[in-house]
Amino acid sequence: MDQFLSLVVSAVLLAGLYAAMAFGLGLIYGVLRIVNLAHGGVIMAGAYTTWVLFTRFGMDPYLSIPIVVPLAFLFGVGLYKGLVRFLPRGAAGGVQSLLLLFGVWLVMQNVAYLLFSGNDQAIRTSYSTRGLSLLGVIVPLNRLVVFVIGLLTLAVLHVLLTRTYVGKAIRAVAQNPDSCTLVGIDVERIYTLTFAIGTALAGLAGLLLSTLFAFNPGAGAVELLKSFVIVVLGGLGSVVGIALGAFVLATVEVFSILVLPSFLTAAVGFVLLVLVLVFRPGGLFGQKVLS
Amino acid sequence: MSVLEVQDIEVFYGDAQALFGVSLTVEQGEIVTIVGSNGAGKTTTLRAIAGIRPLAKGEVAFEGTSLKGVPAGERPGMGIALVPEGRELWPQMTVEENLELGAFSPRARKDRVATLRYVYTLFPRLAERRRQLAGTMSGGEQQMCAIGRALMSKPRLLMFDEPSLGLAPILVQQVFANVQRLRDEGLTILLVEQNLKKALETADRGYVIETGAIAQYGPASELLADESIRAAYLGI
Ligand SMILES: Nc1ncnc2c1ncn2[C@@H]1O[C@H](COP(=O)(O)OP(=O)(O)OP(=O)(O)O)[C@@H](O)[C@H]1O
Ligand SMILES: [Mg+2]
Repeated sequence: MDQFLSLVVSAVLLAGLYAAMAFGLGLIYGVLRIVNLAHGGVIMAGAYTTWVLFTRFGMDPYLSIPIVVPLAFLFGVGLYKGLVRFLPRGAAGGVQSLLLLFGVWLVMQNVAYLLFSGNDQAIRTSYSTRGLSLLGVIVPLNRLVVFVIGLLTLAVLHVLLTRTYVGKAIRAVAQNPDSCTLVGIDVERIYTLTFAIGTALAGLAGLLLSTLFAFNPGAGAVELLKSFVIVVLGGLGSVVGIALGAFVLATVEVFSILVLPSFLTAAVGFVLLVLVLVFRPGGLFGQKVLS
Repeated sequence: MSVLEVQDIEVFYGDAQALFGVSLTVEQGEIVTIVGSNGAGKTTTLRAIAGIRPLAKGEVAFEGTSLKGVPAGERPGMGIALVPEGRELWPQMTVEENLELGAFSPRARKDRVATLRYVYTLFPRLAERRRQLAGTMSGGEQQMCAIGRALMSKPRLLMFDEPSLGLAPILVQQVFANVQRLRDEGLTILLVEQNLKKALETADRGYVIETGAIAQYGPASELLADESIRAAYLGI
């Protein structure tokens, strides 16, 4: 029973991080119909930026959110305006955008190797090892903070997408860009903004991951794939769908340690992905686009 | 000064020319209709006026100002609205969200609460359905929503592209009645229709478009009485 409870707590905490991590990928796909393979690279870059701020300037990783997230946002604006804007969209442009953004990722990875070498890095703060008792389960403080930040991020996104004019415009562009022009929505601006928000979320995910795990320039690959699994599970870009998808993946992963050796945990998600694609290709919760 | 002046415009889709020098004018408070058969270029004409299709030649002027270089996204803010063919709503957003987004341009946005109230008094059915997803409504209700969305931008020129398409006869009546009502409220209207008889009965003046060029124009009643038009389009 104790173990069950502690696994549930771990799953829920992990889900908060996973949701924040996957949302950017889902948002960009939902609106631009592009699978952003650079997502993994931005996660890695977010982790390194946080690490540099921590080691060079002694900045607390969580307090550097107001720096890392805007930087990632600006990187997204640049990437969109410099490259992504010229890509064909949707099914027709699938291969080109995959190749281009994969290329961007490779470049980012190699720059990171140059700057930081291939060694593992980690961020250890004074509270890194501290724990907290939650429902009688001892939980690492960092995990709890990451979960809360993930949850807050989802809440902010939900409010943005459902309550603000610009958020509604983002959903409208996802559903029918042609009629957006008719009401005076600048569709290109919405594309830029959406891509930048998605990239900012990847940067935030990198920051959060850097407080929990060691990383190197190859980081982000597993996270990208997990994000992909979550988006397929949860549907495109509805906040609730992504949260549910994240929770399903986190639960399956966490509980798999009861029956599987831990090095297979990461593979569990992909088995799940294959099962869903075969049996419920529309996702577990139906296929609504940013509704 | 005409509300709308279209001068000798040519439009291409790739290499294929769709409009071969179309000219027309719409005066303040008029209902003007463009009629013609499938593929004649009606939608293309409206898209060119809305700025969605670029002009290869010619010019469009709104209230005396040339629209050359004005991107499509800025035209709703100037007072030009289009109710597009096939409604083109955002199906997974509520009726009210669809309407709100109609007032996206800054000029319309500051008055959106009052305009929304006006649209709801015009179409009480939309008020009843405000929380419903637009894609789940009937064709007639979706058409109302599309008209409402266009009205939310506070247009002075309202363009309709085949608003009666796919509607039951009783709803077709309603659509044309609404067009007339909106004119009575002070709007200027450019109406594209395949339903030539109804359109000419509703409009003040009409243009007949054939393969991308204006074949005939004049007062609606004269066009309706014209032997060649009756033979070609009404089978009489
Ligand atoms: N997206 C497009 N790509 C290529 N050609 C097009 C496109 N849209 C229209 N055309 C062509 O342009 C011409 C005019 O089309 P348009 O849609 O303006 O006609 P329409 O009068 O609106 O017809 P309908 O009554 O069927 O709506 C047609 O020959 C059509 O095939
Ligand atoms: Mg048409």
